[in-house]
Amino acid sequence: MNKVIKRDQLVAALDSIAAKYQLIAPVQDESSVLFKPGVAGKDVVLDAVNSTVSPKGTFFPQWETMYTYNMAEADFAVKHPDQGPDRVLFGVRPCDIMAILHIDPVFIGEKFGDFYYEAKRNKTTIIGVSCPSVAHTCFCSTFGGSPTANKGADIMFYDLGDKFAVEVLTDKGKAVAELISKFLTDDAAAPAAVEAKAKELAAQCKPVDVTGVKEFLDGAFEHPYWVELSKKCLNCGVCTYVCPTCHCFDVVDEGYKSEGQRIRCWDSCMAKDFNLAAGGHNTRPSKLEKVRNRFMHKLKYHLDRYNLAGCIGCGRCSQKCPVNLDITQVISDVKAVK
Amino acid sequence: MCKCASENPMYAYPATITKIIEETPDVKTFQMVFDDPQVQENFGNQPGQVTMISLLGHGEITISITSSPTRKGMLEFSIKKVGRVTEIVHQLEVGMKVGIRGPYGNNFPFEDMKGKDLVIIGGGIGLAPVRSLIDYVLADENRADYGHVDIVYGARSKADLCFKYDLFDTWPQKKDTSVYVTIDRSEEGWDGKVAFVPAYLEELNPSPENKIAVTCGPPIMIKFVLQTLAKLGWKDEQIITTLEGRMKCCIGKCGRCNVGDKFICLDGPVFNLAQIKQMPEEF
Repeated sequence: MNKVIKRDQLVAALDSIAAKYQLIAPVQDESSVLFKPGVAGKDVVLDAVNSTVSPKGTFFPQWETMYTYNMAEADFAVKHPDQGPDRVLFGVRPCDIMAILHIDPVFIGEKFGDFYYEAKRNKTTIIGVSCPSVAHTCFCSTFGGSPTANKGADIMFYDLGDKFAVEVLTDKGKAVAELISKFLTDDAAAPAAVEAKAKELAAQCKPVDVTGVKEFLDGAFEHPYWVELSKKCLNCGVCTYVCPTCHCFDVVDEGYKSEGQRIRCWDSCMAKDFNLAAGGHNTRPSKLEKVRNRFMHKLKYHLDRYNLAGCIGCGRCSQKCPVNLDITQVISDVKAVK
Repeated sequence: MCKCASENPMYAYPATITKIIEETPDVKTFQMVFDDPQVQENFGNQPGQVTMISLLGHGEITISITSSPTRKGMLEFSIKKVGRVTEIVHQLEVGMKVGIRGPYGNNFPFEDMKGKDLVIIGGGIGLAPVRSLIDYVLADENRADYGHVDIVYGARSKADLCFKYDLFDTWPQKKDTSVYVTIDRSEEGWDGKVAFVPAYLEELNPSPENKIAVTCGPPIMIKFVLQTLAKLGWKDEQIITTLEGRMKCCIGKCGRCNVGDKFICLDGPVFNLAQIKQMPEEF
């Protein structure tokens, strides 16, 4: 962590990376900040605490072709698209890196891997950037996160105002760090500055007390609280759209005559027909079941299955919800309604 | 072909339809054989497991394997015409191709069933997944491992009975096997039993001693079968059923078929009643 890069050299450094890798980084898109592939250093914005949509799409795109088919060519022969070049995902906040670590076991491991997710995950080097400040909706420290955590990053940039302290954490990170070595200078004071910054930001964190929440939810499936809570939900699904740990998807065939493609796209447990089976049986037909499933998934099911929190405290769902359904409120509520 | 196929669990291997049996007005049994003999050989399905059947341009459906692994060289699927993709499946003919991926999920606990009597209780298309178990147990090489097999099966009408050739021909001829068939309402040309399956089961009054019950059918039938078995003194651990749910990936990722923290596609579809009682009632 003795190396630093000056803020005004960042654009040049990112361009050196972009010359060798596909650079995926947050850019301004009208009123949103979105992670986009193939960007130039000058377009990268780092002032938003959190991007509007999480960077999970780097590995699990909102929409992707699984394979194409042409039945006129050969019986049932399909072609898999190339999974893209080696990429550097720059500007990821610590909470979003934690989210990636928390959905890794969904897509990697257990009995089956995920061809698409794993390929893109392996091709990607993650450069985390610590948070410049703490937003009023942030609560990452609730789940063991912090604005300066480096867990899961290949390289970590610590935002020190006019410069970033740079910490290389993995071999993958080393290869990328070499591309920007000429921009790095020694700074013996950097570690102390990072520590001071970490303390300053940690003091601004507003953790929500989750003690006992999981234990309460273990026996709360039929609790009347869900009826009350779900009443105001519009099932718009924006919470699942911006959530960095939501991983539900749909698989759809798009074709004309003998040619076409099988795609997968993000789906939402809030959607009307999400669980509607042929024949009419719907396991989660109304708002009650949908809302309950979302919060149970975030605060209990994911924890039960993977021993990892299903929420990482980025605060996007609370920020975007049109009816102020706030997960931090749910956490405090269920402690109170016991 | 690129290695993508073997590396991608969501790749469906081409298979050809070799035989179609019209079971009922809306159920057909399709016999299918993988085009690559190696894929067929290595498929390794166990009784109770499911597959995804793929029709390019139309989508994929989760379908249980109806045939027992003791019948080698092919797979059978009994498919009810009930939705968008199954409508298309019903239009397929012998010689046409589909994709198959799997097998997925757990299986009926045929090892734990050894030395025990079995009571199989099915309704309508619900016999399809359980037929893999029946044929496994009744296969010559396995028959000695299991005790008496009772099969209680019902459908709305005579025309709606699936696997008539098994019910009236193959199974009754097997050693230590009793088949009880019923239909919901009396009709001309039917001199057999008329009763709902749970009522018929209660009348047959199977004692729970050293027995395992396996049931699958419409949810309402399962509900009353479970009540009947409880009344007859059966314990939750002795009662096995198989669940279904809407699925897109069948490999625990798409997030549709969860019941609590369990995925039907990975942790199921086979559960005993004790396990089901631990799960939230959302299936």
